Amino acid sequence: CSGSKSSNSSAKKSAGKPQQGGDLVVGSIGEPTLFNSLYSTDDASTDIENMLYSFLTKTDEKLNVKLSLAESIKELDGGLAYDVKIKKGVKFHDGKELTADDVVFTYSVPLSKDYKGERGSTYEMLKSVEKKGDYEVLFKLKYKDGNFYNNALDSTAILPKHILGNVPIADLEENEFNRKKPIGSGPFKFKEWKQGQYIKLEANDDYFEGRPYLDTVTYKVIPDANAAVAQLQAGDINFFNVPATDYKTAEKFNNLKIVTDLALSYVYIGWNEKNELFKDKKVRQALTTALDRESIVSQVLDGDGEVAYIPESPLSWNYPKDIDVPKFEYNEKKAKQMLAEAGWKDTNGDGILDKDGKKFSFTLKTNQGNKVREDIAVVVQEQLKKIGIEVKTQIVEWSALVEQMNPPNWDFDAMVMGWSLSTFPDQYDIFHSSQIKKGLNYVWYKNAEADKLMKDAKSISDRKQYSKEYEQIYQKIAEDQPYTFLYYPNNHMAMPENLEGYKYHPKRDLYNIEKWWLAK
Amino acid sequence: MAAYIIRRTLMSIPILLGITILSFVIMKAAPGDPMTLMMDPKISQADREQFIEKYGLNDPQYVQYLKWLGNMVQGDFGTSIVRKGTPVSELIMARLPNTLLLMLVSTILALMISIPFGVLSAKRPYSKIDYGITFTSFIGLAIPNFWFGLILIMVLSVNLGWFPTGGVETLNTEFNIFDRIHHLILPAFVLATADMAGLTRYTRSNMLDVLNQDYIRTARAKGFKENRVLFKHGLRNALLPVITIFGLMIPSFIGGSVVVEQIFTWPGLGKLFVDSAFQRDYPVIMAMTVISAVLVVVGNLIADILYAIVDPRIEY
Repeated sequence: CSGSKSSNSSAKKSAGKPQQGGDLVVGSIGEPTLFNSLYSTDDASTDIENMLYSFLTKTDEKLNVKLSLAESIKELDGGLAYDVKIKKGVKFHDGKELTADDVVFTYSVPLSKDYKGERGSTYEMLKSVEKKGDYEVLFKLKYKDGNFYNNALDSTAILPKHILGNVPIADLEENEFNRKKPIGSGPFKFKEWKQGQYIKLEANDDYFEGRPYLDTVTYKVIPDANAAVAQLQAGDINFFNVPATDYKTAEKFNNLKIVTDLALSYVYIGWNEKNELFKDKKVRQALTTALDRESIVSQVLDGDGEVAYIPESPLSWNYPKDIDVPKFEYNEKKAKQMLAEAGWKDTNGDGILDKDGKKFSFTLKTNQGNKVREDIAVVVQEQLKKIGIEVKTQIVEWSALVEQMNPPNWDFDAMVMGWSLSTFPDQYDIFHSSQIKKGLNYVWYKNAEADKLMKDAKSISDRKQYSKEYEQIYQKIAEDQPYTFLYYPNNHMAMPENLEGYKYHPKRDLYNIEKWWLAK
Repeated sequence: MAAYIIRRTLMSIPILLGITILSFVIMKAAPGDPMTLMMDPKISQADREQFIEKYGLNDPQYVQYLKWLGNMVQGDFGTSIVRKGTPVSELIMARLPNTLLLMLVSTILALMISIPFGVLSAKRPYSKIDYGITFTSFIGLAIPNFWFGLILIMVLSVNLGWFPTGGVETLNTEFNIFDRIHHLILPAFVLATADMAGLTRYTRSNMLDVLNQDYIRTARAKGFKENRVLFKHGLRNALLPVITIFGLMIPSFIGGSVVVEQIFTWPGLGKLFVDSAFQRDYPVIMAMTVISAVLVVVGNLIADILYAIVDPRIEY
């Protein structure tokens, strides 16, 4: 069977000296699409790109930006330009040196009129990129935006100009390079992609931060989660992000250990303020107060998560230190009272609250195939029934649901949903009122003060100041309750018992894989 | 015979056309489009429009269909929308052989097991053997594929280690025919079970009908050996309706393989089909529809040809 099955199950804690060798077999539900970060948008492709290519910066496990390919980065013109010096002697997998030309080439692609990829918004603020020396590049921005330094630099895989330079940009996406023979300068080299089966990578001896300890990485595609867990137990894969429903089973498997930590995401109920029912802030606050989030976490999730109060992960540096935002803790009586204050009373004695002859009744939607969310919808239905609100639940196929909630439809009353957070916190896209008509503000949230704060935050590059600004934003959002924030879910990473050097990263499952090693 | 095959092939063209038109309309009627599932939620309106333009999703539906048809007839299935410009033919060719292999083996397996069992059942109706086979067949019919597959993986692969947990071959090894067969046994068996059960029942009841016919009595009276009576005189006649049923079963092989492939990590068309449907990857869905439709039409043609082989009275 697979080469890396750990023969020695009694791996001692002794970190010892890193040993070279072995194959890590990573299991993935999704199959990658192509290996070019200017076009790919799925997690599986990103996983592979992070091994194949190098990036100017890297966001570490604490979500801090660290230099990677860049030797130094200087902010100029108060954040309107960045001067980046890159490391010398970095080599692509075909032996050619990586220089400023390659960086300029890569970043020029999305600026071109012919670029038709879907990553355009990442580079929206970028005006130009030019070569200043063999190892120096100058980026100029149209406007200040923290997303450039924090997002664009660490998510753009540097492509080899000597291979792709002559390809017309309109044809770049379909070029064979992306799928058949990607050449990067990252810790691992591309060996083979057997469609529907696996991707094989091997160590790059000339990696500029030193050869990885692992000889090979096999990225195996296993479309069915149950089958993946069986393969984990049989040792056919040995690294896998185990679904929450299965991790208790996986804990009992031999030769494996499981690292559990918060994922960089949260689950919420969005209240559509376009609907009269949810226009009143008081009502939304009452709804949150009527929901027992602690018991949702302990009952539905079996304790596998953490109650959320704001749209920011506790893992982030931007999470307010001493959090004292309004929490609206569970209190049935108070919820009823708050609704009464907002004018909702049961005047006709049918057990359902009413106001001006209208019943408090709505439909709660969620996506099909997510068992936890389906369960939550039912629990919410039960809990709101207790205070006289009638909830109908509806489970909708994913594409159909996205279509319903997207502009210009906004066809939902309330929905159980989740957001995966970016490593750089920015709530503008989701909560700014300019994002209602064409954006992700599906719930029609509007708060003029919050709007201004979110806009201003965009031009702050100092992280301390940024956090201060965001503390106020989170205060406002928590007070207004456009969402009822439910919880932060956990990740469960299963890996060989003798895997050393592993660091949990909330966003990148294979972060720092070049430093992992298997103790013998 | 050759004329018949040509005629049937020509007749299948309007059928295939009808299938593609219907599929196209239904596919387009499903809510959402490939854009709704693109992972980066920050896609701007401009990017979105550019994208829609690029794949011609702005054209009226009949134009889209005709464009697709024109390209398809020339052997061009287009490029996948979700899989970023990967040619559809490449996606399919990487998987089709695996699916065909699985289907073929499981079909042969189903026939090899169900026909003898059906005959055995009919030979001594209402005996212990008959009841045993009937009972087992009904269990086979009732067990859901995915559950049976997972149980077999748990018991035979994970716990006992007799079979691999999935895939077509052991990772990091050279091609080895025995290794391939080893990987094929469980998925083929699971895929075959439901059909096996049905075929056994059909064979049994047809055999029973035939064995009550006068010519069987005549054959026995002439003193032929029982096996000769059963297989030469009985089975050949009993198989005729079974062939019809078998032809009708071919579509279910394709449908059933979707689940089995997923459970056994079999790199076939199943997963691609399901993903594409959920992601509204139109070019891939259409290509898959054409392929399934062709398989069904060809399957039925083969069934008709088999008729002529089994029943000398039939001539085309």
